[in-house]
Amino acid sequence: MKRILNVIVWAGLAVLGACALGAIALQRGERLNAIWFVIAAVCCYLVAFRLYSSFIAARLLALDDTRATPAERHDDGRDFVPTNKWVLFGHHFAAIAGPGPLVGPTLAAQFGYLPGTLWLIAGAALAGCVQDFIILFCSIRRDGKSLGQMAREEVSERGGFIAQLAVLAIMTILLAVIALVVVNALKSSPWATFTLAMTIPIAILLGLYLRFVRPGRVLEASIMGLALIVFVVVAGQWVADSPYWSHVFTLSGLALTAAIILYGFSASALPVWLLLAPRDYLSAFIKAGAIFSLAAGILFVRPQVLMPPLTRFVDGTGPVFAGKIFPFCFITIACGAISGFHSLISSGTTPKMILREGHARLIGYGAMLLESFVGVMAMVAACAMTPGVYFAINSPPAIVGATPDAAAATITSWGYPLSAQTMTALAGAVGEQTLWNRAGGAPSLAVGMAQIFSSTIGGERLLSIWYHFAIMFEALFILTVLDAGTRVGRFMVQELGGRVWKPFGRRGWMPGILLASAVMVGLWGYFLYQGVIDPLGGINSLWPLFGIGNQLLAAVALVVATTILMKMGRLRWIWVTLLPMVWLVLITMTASYQKIFDANPRIGFLSGANTLAAQLAAGKVATAKIAESHRLIFNLRLDAVVTAVFALMILVLIVEALFQWYVILSHRRAPVLHETPYVATQWAEGFSGAGHAAAVGDAMGDD
Amino acid sequence: MRRLKKIIRRSLRRFWRGLREWCGDAAYESYLRSKGMRSGPVCKLSPAEFYVEQLNRKYSRPNRCC
Repeated sequence: MKRILNVIVWAGLAVLGACALGAIALQRGERLNAIWFVIAAVCCYLVAFRLYSSFIAARLLALDDTRATPAERHDDGRDFVPTNKWVLFGHHFAAIAGPGPLVGPTLAAQFGYLPGTLWLIAGAALAGCVQDFIILFCSIRRDGKSLGQMAREEVSERGGFIAQLAVLAIMTILLAVIALVVVNALKSSPWATFTLAMTIPIAILLGLYLRFVRPGRVLEASIMGLALIVFVVVAGQWVADSPYWSHVFTLSGLALTAAIILYGFSASALPVWLLLAPRDYLSAFIKAGAIFSLAAGILFVRPQVLMPPLTRFVDGTGPVFAGKIFPFCFITIACGAISGFHSLISSGTTPKMILREGHARLIGYGAMLLESFVGVMAMVAACAMTPGVYFAINSPPAIVGATPDAAAATITSWGYPLSAQTMTALAGAVGEQTLWNRAGGAPSLAVGMAQIFSSTIGGERLLSIWYHFAIMFEALFILTVLDAGTRVGRFMVQELGGRVWKPFGRRGWMPGILLASAVMVGLWGYFLYQGVIDPLGGINSLWPLFGIGNQLLAAVALVVATTILMKMGRLRWIWVTLLPMVWLVLITMTASYQKIFDANPRIGFLSGANTLAAQLAAGKVATAKIAESHRLIFNLRLDAVVTAVFALMILVLIVEALFQWYVILSHRRAPVLHETPYVATQWAEGFSGAGHAAAVGDAMGDD
Repeated sequence: MRRLKKIIRRSLRRFWRGLREWCGDAAYESYLRSKGMRSGPVCKLSPAEFYVEQLNRKYSRPNRCC
């Protein structure tokens, strides 16, 4: 009876999900309610978790709860900490959820809501979650080894080196592009700039409190910090209203670039407890709060989706970024469906804290489903605003025109009616000087979030507060990724430099710290500068580059996973990782080829550089713009080289892996699996984590 | 009614404990309870030393994603 009921419930969920997907896909002409997106996503996620993840756990990985995990074997209370599965789920989700699933879907909304939503749901269930889950499992079975170490051991020495190099290269582009999102969000916005600037002294204050007053009391410090942040969000309005302070905090793109570079350098070189860690605590709380509030807001307001399912820009002529749905929708969505960076988290802290192998399913597969849901909500927030407003915020002046009237006329001519007055009124309502040409996704997402939040609490009166809260939330946790990433990049630079000159590799050596921080900041800072001076807004070139890099890293992770599964003898189910891997290689290779060689100067880096060079040669460039044009030509060619290097790295790794696979399949050599030997768990069935330790001391063999 | 109160109290206690573990508040307590601390003669870190050591370790590898 129970079994029949079970089947009925799951079949019902599957049918409901299919109906909701059908409504999203087939609705034409009539406006669609956002609740359909939520129903479709939740039902698909539940079914995927119940069926597909169980299948992977049982058939492919054969998770074994009797096997002691690294957390049990090495339990030292520092790196290896047995943690309750729901707490670890929260940890893992906080680590993997960054700006990507918010910005990517917002940018991909230029194709309409349909392609992005479908890829967010299907991509996560069939590729992203699979990658996170299997890499987590592989790392658990190898004492929490990193992706690079696993690639070195299981694929080849060269494969490991490529994986490490890919991480550094991708991190550079990632940091540049997310910094660009912040610059575009804060440009000419005294309120937002003030609010974000104030988070630095607040973080330092918390850092001092946590270091000297109440060491490690994160919760009480975070509550104080959150109260101060709410205060500065409100106080930002007074700053914006004051002629003097408004002038002080109104910064150009280049000034903000310099400020962010200086911040990144400081956060990397200063002691971690002073600035970086307390900011991260604040960011984690605000991120969790904002994401759940957005979900609740969407459920409460149930906004109408105003963007059509498909826009005219599926042909590749989009103003936000150029390129057709295939492959650009997939590399733009990136993290919301599958993110290579997650494999670093899944093979980093999480495997050292997991209590039982069986928990990997909830943590690896489940956390990624939740991240995908964040992406769906971002898509809803972006598509719930008038399409004309969306394109006005996200299009660069070189495409739509430099004046409000010209831009409004261009956007209206695309079939999305808009007047300059609408944008002026909207900018006034959210407390901004202008909302035109704010490419990057953050301002449009903030407008969408503010409209949803203000429909729930406060109405039009609080629209500006909600908008600046949303901007602060996005910028705060983007900067958290930026400073943590710069610091990790610094260690990588020091490690590489240490191979040439030993003292440079010492982590505590101050000249080494300063030099390595400067190198790392210089690397991403250059790409950021390039994006800021780009007349097409920077996002057009940098976000696809980031997407290619990110998806490439995911392909690297899936190559490693496929090789390990092959060595484990799971050939029958190898398609589980092989198909997503082939798909990722296809999209990254196609996107790389198009970004380098496409004849359209907005897509192809080389044709863009050649077009500019031809204009220079023909004397069509104004004298004042000649130096800038030379810089742009150099940057476009540099981007082409970076893309080619990315593509080459994955090709080399695939050749290495193919050789390994050939050796395994042809039985030329017995496959060597580098798993740690089986040790039976000493923990009783009910043991649920460190916090539970006192109550179950007996289970641990201790009173 | 008493049963309901008990369930609520237990749920709140669980939530509070989970929240403290999630945000890192309970990290030092976990460290003191760890097998490594209980099994041999190890030099115990003070709360301040542990806090700094833990942060240095945490932020030396990728722990925040895109």
